[in-house]
Amino acid sequence: MAFSDSLLYAKVNDIDMITEIDKKVISLIQKDLPVDRRPFALIADKIGITEEKFIERVNNLKKQGIIRRFGATLRHQEAGFSSNAMIAWLVPEERIDEAGRILSGFREVTHCYHRKPNGNWRYNLYSMIHGKNREQCYDIAARMAQSSGIDKYELLFSEKEFRKTSMEYF
Amino acid sequence: MDEIDRSIINEIQTDFPITQRPYFELGKRLNLPEDIVIKRVKRLKGEGIIRRIGGNFHSNRLNFTSTLCAAKVPKKDIGHFVETVNSYPGVTHNYLRDHEYNIWFTFIAQDMAFIEDALKDISGKTGIKEILNLPALKTFKIKVDFEV
Repeated sequence: MAFSDSLLYAKVNDIDMITEIDKKVISLIQKDLPVDRRPFALIADKIGITEEKFIERVNNLKKQGIIRRFGATLRHQEAGFSSNAMIAWLVPEERIDEAGRILSGFREVTHCYHRKPNGNWRYNLYSMIHGKNREQCYDIAARMAQSSGIDKYELLFSEKEFRKTSMEYF
Repeated sequence: MDEIDRSIINEIQTDFPITQRPYFELGKRLNLPEDIVIKRVKRLKGEGIIRRIGGNFHSNRLNFTSTLCAAKVPKKDIGHFVETVNSYPGVTHNYLRDHEYNIWFTFIAQDMAFIEDALKDISGKTGIKEILNLPALKTFKIKVDFEV
């Protein structure tokens, strides 16, 4: 269970530990790092701190778990994953943790969340999957259903991307 | 994309070195000269395979809140609806999906009250009354790096 605990929505006021310098650092690394021999030196200069200090702050943010991942983000279509589907699952609440863990265990699943249902929309577990085509997505979903024993689900294929960007926090 | 491109992509998605010369470090791991790694990463960005290199955050740990929203929008109104929704910088993803709830977007903001007010405004401006707000109760997995 440890793997999901670290992703739980934290209730602590972590923001108290984030300094003004951290905010400036975040304002730069939430954007696109220049491809250069010394990329951190280039952006550290913009906020008037040294490269060493900048690198230390980024490593710290990573250690604190504020940075979830630092690295390249791909455009999945260009990388050969052309079909993406959200699967909405209807799971008895008492089976949510078990089902969430089983579905998350699938390599093809990039995101998995327990969400609050709303009105007549009763689906409460959501997983994003990426496949090479729709048939492959249906096949993955069927295997997920079989493993989890959850047979009430819908696939929602994406037909058009209107926006895909990274959040600018500060 | 050749084998070298693939090895670079697989390495820099999860484990980009946070050091003075990250491409030198990557080159060491992949047995490639620094200049070659830089040249190839620039090309992969130019080709649109790499969208961005940077930090991805736990928004809740920065005291932001996030949610997923869905709406049923008649075809003729989609353009205006999407434009209105996308005018909020906290909307980071927005997709047309093959379903009666056809527009799905994520929304990040300082608090849920801001998001609820924004959804009301969007309804007012577009006439789309029903927008589902589906906040996460628990995150089981976020793993967006891909083996290519």
